[in-house]
Amino acid sequence: MADKMDVDAVNGEREEETVGPASDLPPERIIINNFDLIRQAVDAFDSRFILRALRSISTLRKSDKFAEAIVQGVRTAFPKPSMGARKVLEDVLPDNVTAMQNGTSAPSAEDKKKDASAEEQQLPEIWAYLGILVQVYLYDTQQFQEGADFSTNFVEKIRSWNRRTLDQIGAKAYFYYALFHETLDPKPPSKQSPVIEVRPKLLAALRSAVLRKDNDTQAAVTVLLLRNYISTADITQADLLVAQTQFPTAATNNQVCRYLYYLGRIRAIQLAYTEAHDHLESATRKSPTTGPAIGFYSQSMKLQIVVELLMGDIPERSVFRQPALEAALYPYFKLVQAVRVGDLQAFLRCVTNNEGQFRKDGTYTLILRLRQNVIKTGVRMLSLSYSRISLRDICTRLHISSEESAEYITAKAIRDGVIEATLDHQNGHMVTNPQRDAYSTTEPSEAFHARIEALLGLRDECVMAMRYPMNKHRQELSEAAKARERERELAKEIVEGEGDDGDGDEGGFEGM
Amino acid sequence: MAENELKQILTQLDTLKANNLSEAPKLLSRAKLALLNLNALVPTEQTQPQHLALAASLLEYGALISIRLQDTDAFTRYFQQLQPFYSLPSDRLGSRRQSNQGKVTGLYLLLLLSVGDYAGFHTVLEGLEASSGKEQIEKDEFIQYPVRLEQALMEGSYDKVWGETKGERVPSEEFGVFSEVLVNTIRSEIASCSERAYPSLPISNAKNLLFLDSEGAVIQFAQSRGWVAKEGRIYFPEQEQEMLAAQKDVMSSSNVVIENTLGYARKLETIV
Repeated sequence: MADKMDVDAVNGEREEETVGPASDLPPERIIINNFDLIRQAVDAFDSRFILRALRSISTLRKSDKFAEAIVQGVRTAFPKPSMGARKVLEDVLPDNVTAMQNGTSAPSAEDKKKDASAEEQQLPEIWAYLGILVQVYLYDTQQFQEGADFSTNFVEKIRSWNRRTLDQIGAKAYFYYALFHETLDPKPPSKQSPVIEVRPKLLAALRSAVLRKDNDTQAAVTVLLLRNYISTADITQADLLVAQTQFPTAATNNQVCRYLYYLGRIRAIQLAYTEAHDHLESATRKSPTTGPAIGFYSQSMKLQIVVELLMGDIPERSVFRQPALEAALYPYFKLVQAVRVGDLQAFLRCVTNNEGQFRKDGTYTLILRLRQNVIKTGVRMLSLSYSRISLRDICTRLHISSEESAEYITAKAIRDGVIEATLDHQNGHMVTNPQRDAYSTTEPSEAFHARIEALLGLRDECVMAMRYPMNKHRQELSEAAKARERERELAKEIVEGEGDDGDGDEGGFEGM
Repeated sequence: MAENELKQILTQLDTLKANNLSEAPKLLSRAKLALLNLNALVPTEQTQPQHLALAASLLEYGALISIRLQDTDAFTRYFQQLQPFYSLPSDRLGSRRQSNQGKVTGLYLLLLLSVGDYAGFHTVLEGLEASSGKEQIEKDEFIQYPVRLEQALMEGSYDKVWGETKGERVPSEEFGVFSEVLVNTIRSEIASCSERAYPSLPISNAKNLLFLDSEGAVIQFAQSRGWVAKEGRIYFPEQEQEMLAAQKDVMSSSNVVIENTLGYARKLETIV
C-alpha cells in the first residue's frame, strides 16, 4: 500500500520547484498576495493563477508562524469578527493565536485593507483557499479528528457553490478530506474504518464533478476512491469503479500517475500482468523521480519489479542502481537474484527475511505467487545446461519433494512453452530439444513491430498533449471577420469601378 | 415471535440428517422470512446483536447446506449475504457458539478454484489478508486447504493435488464435494501437458499418470481426447498437426509483415 506521504509527495513535486521569489516574504504576505492572484484568476477566468496560489502552500506550511499567518489572512479577507465565514475558519485554529492577534498586530493590517475589503464581498475562492490552509495546518499539527469534521463541512460548502474557478481548490479540499479520514482510527485494513463512511460523499462528488465537467475534481476524486477501495482490499469494487467511469484526459500529470499506479495494482491482483505492467510502466515513466515524489516513484517501481517477475521477465540491473532507490529496492534486488537463478531455497529465505518490508509495500501476496516462476526458471536453467537429465536429479537440484511432482512440473513447463523438451517416462529423464534459431522465426519482426508501435503511440500522445493559447481562435475569428470586411469593400469598389469602366476585370476576384 | 421461530428452525437445521437434506431449502426460506421480519437479513446500525448472531448462523447453515446439495449458485448468494456480517466488529455479533467464517470462506475459495476463476480467487485472498491478518489465515485449516491446492495447481505438482483430495486430508465433508471436480480438472491438465511432453506413452504408465483405475478407463479417456492407442502405447496425433500449423504460421506471417510495413508507411506520411 502506498504510504500517504507518497501521494502527498507527488503533489509537492511542482510546488517545490516553483516557489521562486515568493519564498523570502513573510508567510502572511504570501497569503495576502495570493488573494490578488485568486482575484485575477476569477476575473480572467484562468485557472493557472489559482494553481500558482496553491503552489505556495508547501513553503507556507514549513514556516513556524503558519497559524498566525492564516489568522492574519482570515482577518484581512473578513475584517468583521461577526462574519460567518470567518467564524468557521477561526473556530478550528488555536485560541491563543487568535487571541494574541486580536491584541496588537492584527488591527494595523485590518485598517489598511478595511476600505478595500468592504466593497469586495469576499469571493468564495478566497474563503476556500483559506479553508485549504486551515486543513493543511490541522494535518500538520495532527488534529485529525478536528480536521475530518472541518473538512466534511468544507467540501459540502464547496460543492454547493458550483463555480469553475473553484475546481482546483475543490480537488485539493477533497484530497485532504480523504486523508483526514484515513488517519482516523481504526486504520484502513479494518472493515470499520471511517474511510468506508466517506465513500458515498466521494461518489456524490464524482457524480457532480462529471456533470459539471469539472476535470480537476473528477480526477482527484476518482483517484481517492480507488485508493480508498484498495486500502480495505475491496478490489472488486475498485475494478467496477474503473469499468464504470472514465478518467478525464485533461487531468494533471500527477493524478494520471496515481491513477495508473492504482490501476496497475488492481490488474496485478487480478493476474492480468501484462496490462498491469503497461500501467505501471507509464506510471513510473510519468512520475517525477526526484524531490519529495521519490516515495511514489519507489513504490510504483517496487510493484513494477514484482509484476515483471510474475510475467517471467527479469528487470534490468540499472533499475536497482538508481542512487535514490538503491536502499529501498535492496530486498527486491535479492528477490530478483533468487528468481533469476531459479533457486527455490534462496527465494523462500529472501521472502521470510523481508516479510515485514514486503507486507508494508503491499507486495507480499504477489510475491508469494512467484514460487511457481522460481520453479519454472529452475527447470529452464536445467534444460539449458543439460541435453539429458534424469528426473531424480531435477528433484534434488530444485528441492522438489517427489519424482512424480518433478515429472508433472516439467510436463507443465513444456506445455507452457517455458522449455523445448520431451520426457521419457520409462527411463525417467528429460531430453532437451536442440535450440532453434530465433532469427528464423517471426520473433524479431514482432519485437520490431512492438517498438515502432510504442514510438508511434508516444508521438500521438505528444501531439495531443500540445497546448494552445486560450483565445487564439477568437483572434483568428476577428481577423477572419476583418478580412471579410475588406473583401466586401474591395468588391464594392470593383463594382463601382465596373460602372465607371464599363467592363469588369474578372481576374481581380481571383486575387481575393 | 419471529425470533422464536428462527431459533426453532436453527435447532431443526442442526439436527437435520443427511438423508432428508432436501427439507432444508424450505426451512431456510421460512427462516429468511423470519429474518426479514426482524429486519436482520442485512445488518444495520439498529439491528440487535442477538439478531445479528442468529442471522449470521442461519446464513452459514444455508451456505453449508447448499454446498451439500451441490447448489453452487445458492452458495454464492449466501456467501455474498454473509459478507456484511463478517465485516462487523466482533463485539457486535455477540457471543456465537462457533463461527463458520473460515469454513464458508474456504469453500468459496475452493469453488472459485474448481471453476478456474484464479483472478477471483486471488482477489478474495487479498481481501482476507488485509482484513484478518496473516496469523489468522495461517492458523485456519479451512483456508489453508484451498491455498495449498492453488499453489500445487499453479506449479504443476498434480500428484500433491491428488493427495490432498483423498479422504483423510480433506478438512471437512463439505470440501469433499469439490474433490471430484478438482480431479477432473487436474486430469485434463495432465492430459494437455502429456500431449506436448511425451512422444508416446505406455498405457500402464498413463494409468498411473492420469490417476485412473484401470487400463480400460485409460483407453476410454484416450479416445475422448482423440489419442491413438495401439500396441500397448498411446500416441498423440495433435503434436504432428501442431508442427504443421507452426510451419504454416511462418508462411502466413508474410501477410502480417506486409500489413505492418504499409502501416508504417502511412504513419510516416502523416508525420512528415
